Amino acid sequence: MELNLGLGLAGLGAGPEAYDVIIIGGGPAGASAAIYTARAELRTLVIDKGLTAGALGVTAKISNYPGVPGPISGAQLVETMRRQAESFGARFITDKVIGVDLSGDAKTVIAAASGTFKARALILATGSMGRTHTVPGEDRLLGRGVSYCATCDGAFFRDLAVAVVGNNDETLEEALLLTKFAQHIYLLAPTPALNARAALIDEVKAHAKIEVRLGTRLKEIVGDDQVTGVRIQARAGPEEVLPVQGAFIYLQGAKPITDYLNGQLETTADGCLVVSREMQTNVPGVFAVGDLLCSHIKQAVIAAADGVIAAMAVDKFLRGKARLQPDWR
Amino acid sequence: MSLLREEDRQYLIKEFESLPEAVKLVVFTQEFECQYCRETRAIAEELASLSDKISVEVYDFVKDKAVAEQYGIDKVPALAVVRGGAQPKDYGIRFYGIPAGYEFTTLVEDIMMAARGESGLMPASKEQLARLTQPVHVQVFVTPTCPYCPQAVRLAHQLAVESDLVRADMVEAIEFPHLAVRYQVQGVPRTVINDREHIEGAAPEPMVLARLAAALR
Repeated sequence: MELNLGLGLAGLGAGPEAYDVIIIGGGPAGASAAIYTARAELRTLVIDKGLTAGALGVTAKISNYPGVPGPISGAQLVETMRRQAESFGARFITDKVIGVDLSGDAKTVIAAASGTFKARALILATGSMGRTHTVPGEDRLLGRGVSYCATCDGAFFRDLAVAVVGNNDETLEEALLLTKFAQHIYLLAPTPALNARAALIDEVKAHAKIEVRLGTRLKEIVGDDQVTGVRIQARAGPEEVLPVQGAFIYLQGAKPITDYLNGQLETTADGCLVVSREMQTNVPGVFAVGDLLCSHIKQAVIAAADGVIAAMAVDKFLRGKARLQPDWR
Repeated sequence: MSLLREEDRQYLIKEFESLPEAVKLVVFTQEFECQYCRETRAIAEELASLSDKISVEVYDFVKDKAVAEQYGIDKVPALAVVRGGAQPKDYGIRFYGIPAGYEFTTLVEDIMMAARGESGLMPASKEQLARLTQPVHVQVFVTPTCPYCPQAVRLAHQLAVESDLVRADMVEAIEFPHLAVRYQVQGVPRTVINDREHIEGAAPEPMVLARLAAALR
């Protein structure tokens, strides 16, 4: 048997290609920004977790987006915007950003699977589906059975029972990955239905090791110095403790997603990014748009407009233009 | 047969052209009961084949006991990244277990850092490390499939380059199960400082430096 050494240089961002602007998040804010930066002939990379990862992507019907009578799904609307940006030369990749370094003139973005990228400007558009609070026991037992990364930690749970908590693509993918190691997997979804790609849902439901429990709230991670169970409650049902040694948590909420920034940018007490009128954060060249800002109405059209303002500011920042050149063509 | 894809080879050949100083990869292996010794050696030799500035020395953990002791090696496979040339220096950069998967990138970056001899840490961190008076041992537990781990290993190795009192080990947790048990590793990256302080996840530089200070109190 041949050993897969995994020596691909993904981590080095093998192409030393630098971009003018990297946009993190491909929802309405990020995709709209990409349309404008790509059209301005800035080399544009958009890194996004997937079409159904964000707030718009999971919206079933939209009928009030100006110019789009609808009803269409959020995923369709985002897809249309992306195709428009791609037609102008923007590049989209599906990946999860796990860190950024904003200290130098060239900003570094680290993506989990595709490695490191550099750009002179960044537009952050990661939305607000972050968790607002942890459950009792979660912080205390982090690294003692609580994990947020099955790819990293799956091997520590060989032949054990684990719980995977969440309902999106990422949750289901991680549950499937854990079937290589764990003996039994409880997939605990807070919603009455799974909110992921159909093929993924079918695969999970058919897997002998995975037991899906819908409409189930995670109330506590149980254990002294090691996870021994999860306390859960099904809708209108009694509480129960499932005996597991691991708890992999992928829940979402309504808080701005800023964990990958590692505290490098100024935020409000609510965790929202603070920006200027041109959407620039306290670090020059780094812009933030859409639901990362708390100051506005959470509507796709507002996020799209934010994206455009930031895109034009990026163009000005990079080209040192004193005045913006509106595109009348 | 090459371990690397041709485009990666070409990329690294170009990157290594700018190495300002020679770098030595000191590898410790043993013939039996070492899961990835052969592969670790092959990785080091592959890297050395890409640049005249990179050389490999291979030692047997049992037969070359004196050298192993000189480098403070207590398990295999082990790899030390050492600056060569006119002013050779062992910074205390260690890899225990195979530097594959995401950690291969860390090894490549360490080679460049060792050649430059510059940690790249923040000024405040450098000041704190300059005031160290006692040895610090940092162990970062990883798995090769962990995308968050290189950030933690890289920072630990930066500490080692910055201070002669810091030794920093990457430890591949699956290859050293007794250490994973001893240090209760169930999630990675997990950074252990002087067996006293531990950090879960890839923490920012100021937080790691704060824990380092706490470990010495």
